[in-house]
Amino acid sequence: MTPPTAAPASDAPPRNPQPRSWTDRLLAVWGVLVLAFLFAPIVVVVIYSFNEGRLLIAWDHFGFGSYTGLLDRPEIRHSVLVSLQVAVLSALVATLLGTTAGVALARRPGRWVVLFLGLLLLISVTPEIVDAVSLLPWMVYLGQDAGLVIFNNGLVRLVVGHSLFSTAVVAYLVRARLVGLDESLEEASADLYALPWRTFRQITVPLAMPAVLAGFLLSFTLSLDNTIVSAFVQVSGSTPWPVYVLSSLRSGLRPEIAAMSTIMLLLTLLALTLMAIVLRRAGDSATDIARNIGG
Amino acid sequence: MPDRRTPGAPRRLRAPGFALAIPAWVWLIAFFVVPIGTIAWFSFGYKPGLFGTHANDVLSLDRYREAFSPTFFTTFTNTLRIGITGTLICLLIGLPAAYWMAVKAPPQRRGLLLALVMVPYWTNFLVRTIGWQVILAPHGWVSGLLQRLQFIDEPLAVLNTRTAVLIGVVYNYLPLMILPLFVAFDRVGEPLREASKDLGANRWRTFVQVTLPLARPGIIAGTALVFIPLMGDYVTATVLGGAKGNMVGQLVASQFQTAQNWALGSAMAMVLILVIAATVVVIALLLWLVSLPLRSRQRLVLEEVA
Repeated sequence: MTPPTAAPASDAPPRNPQPRSWTDRLLAVWGVLVLAFLFAPIVVVVIYSFNEGRLLIAWDHFGFGSYTGLLDRPEIRHSVLVSLQVAVLSALVATLLGTTAGVALARRPGRWVVLFLGLLLLISVTPEIVDAVSLLPWMVYLGQDAGLVIFNNGLVRLVVGHSLFSTAVVAYLVRARLVGLDESLEEASADLYALPWRTFRQITVPLAMPAVLAGFLLSFTLSLDNTIVSAFVQVSGSTPWPVYVLSSLRSGLRPEIAAMSTIMLLLTLLALTLMAIVLRRAGDSATDIARNIGG
Repeated sequence: MPDRRTPGAPRRLRAPGFALAIPAWVWLIAFFVVPIGTIAWFSFGYKPGLFGTHANDVLSLDRYREAFSPTFFTTFTNTLRIGITGTLICLLIGLPAAYWMAVKAPPQRRGLLLALVMVPYWTNFLVRTIGWQVILAPHGWVSGLLQRLQFIDEPLAVLNTRTAVLIGVVYNYLPLMILPLFVAFDRVGEPLREASKDLGANRWRTFVQVTLPLARPGIIAGTALVFIPLMGDYVTATVLGGAKGNMVGQLVASQFQTAQNWALGSAMAMVLILVIAATVVVIALLLWLVSLPLRSRQRLVLEEVA
C-alpha cells in the first residue's frame, strides 16, 4: 500500500489533457444512472413518509401525520433505541476482538495463521440464515439448560449474534493494513526499550487506526441492518428495528415506519458529514478509508 | 514478514503477540464453531413425533435425502439461478460504475461518490426493499407512467415474480460489488495506465491488459461478497417474491420457525453451505483457467538479483 499522502497529490496534475471522449461521457452517464438506481427506493420511502393514508403503499394525501404519529408509538422508538445500543456494543466487541486478532495475524505469522484465516473465511462464507438457525438452539441451551442466565437477555443475544461476521471483517481490515506497513517502527520502539504493551498501544494501534475506524463503522452499519440473525435470536421486549419492520410487514405497513426511516436517514447523513469533517482534520481522505476497507 | 532480527536480539514480542488472537479464538469458537457443529449434528438426527424438534438417538443420512426431494431441489436450483444471475448483473452494472468513480470522475469528488454508494446501506435493508414494493406495485405511479407512455398495455405485473426478486437482490447487493471494485481500480493508479499508453497501447488495450488484470482481486472479492449473502437471502424474496420467488433461506427458516423440524432444517442449512462452497470453488477454478493463457503470454521472467 502506498503511504496515504501520495495518493491525492499524484492524481491532481494531469487533469485530462485531451477532450472527453464519448466513452468517458457514456461512463459518466452510467455512473449517475447507477446512483439514481441506488437512491430510487429511498426517495420513494421519503416521499411516502408524508402519506396520510392508513397504509404506506396506498397514497392518500400529503401531511405530517406519520411524524406526529410517532409520538404515540413508543414501540417504534424503543426498537430503534435497541438497534442503536446493539450496534454500538457489537461494533465495540467486534473492533476489540478483530483488532487484536488482526494485529496478531499480521505481526506474529506462524502455522496458526492458516487455521485462523480458514476460520475467518468459513465465517464469511456462511450465509446469515445458517448463523441464525444455529445460534438460536445454542442460546436457548446456554440460557436455560446451562444456567447462564445472561444469555436470556435480548441485548446480549443480539450483540453476540451481530459480532461474529463483524469480527472477521475487522480482523481482515486490520491485517491488510498492517501487512502493507513495514514492521520497522515497532522494532525501533522495542529497541528503544518500550515494553510490548507500550509498543502495541503507542505504535501498532495508531498505525492500524484507519482500518480500526473503518472496521468499527462497517460493524456498526452491518449490525444496524441485521435482520435475519436478529429475527431468530431476539427475545420479546428487546425487538430491534429491522425485526419490528419485518413483523409489521405481515399486519400491513403504516407510514410511521417510513417516517422513522426518514429521520434515521437524516441522522446518518448528519453523522457521516461530521465524520467526514473529523477525518479530513485527521488527514485521511475517504478514498483511503475505502482502500482500507478493500484491504 | 519473516523474522529478520539478528539471532542475539531478545524476542520480547513473541509470546504476547500470539496471545492477542486468543480472545477472538475463544469468542468465535464459542459462538460460531460450536453452534454450527450442533447444527451439523442435528442434521443426522430426525424429528421425534409432533412436538419434538430434533432427536439424535438414531443417526442416518435420511434428512439429506429428504432435502434433495424434488420440491426442495427445485427451490435449490431456483436459488442458485437467482444467485448466479444476480451476481453477474451486479458485476455488469457495477464494473463500469466503479471504473468511472475510481478513474474518470474528478479526483476531489471520488470520496463523495463513494459515500453516496454507501448511504443506501444506512437505510434499513427492509425499508429499501419496501420502497421497491411501492415502485413496482401494479397500480403505482411507475406502472401508470409506463401505461400512459404506451410501453405496456396492462398494469405492471412484476411484483411477486422472480424478476422482482432479481431486481431486489441486485439492488440490495450492488454496493457490495461497487466498493471492492472501486478500491481495486483506484489502486491501479494513473502512472501504470500512462506507462501503458506511452508504450503504444490504446485505451481499450490499456483497460483490458493493464487495468482489468490488476483489478482482479477486486472483481473476485466483489463477486464473493455479493454471491454468498445473496444465496442465503430470504428477506428480499419474502417481500418481493410472493409465492413464486421461493429461495432456500425461506425453506430453512420455515423448518425452524413453523414446521419445528430442526433435523431437516439443519440438513438444508448444511446443504446450503456446501452448495455455496462448491460454487465458489468452481467459479475460482474457472477464473483461474481463463486467466491461464493470458498469464503465460504475458509472463516475464526477471533474473533474480543477488
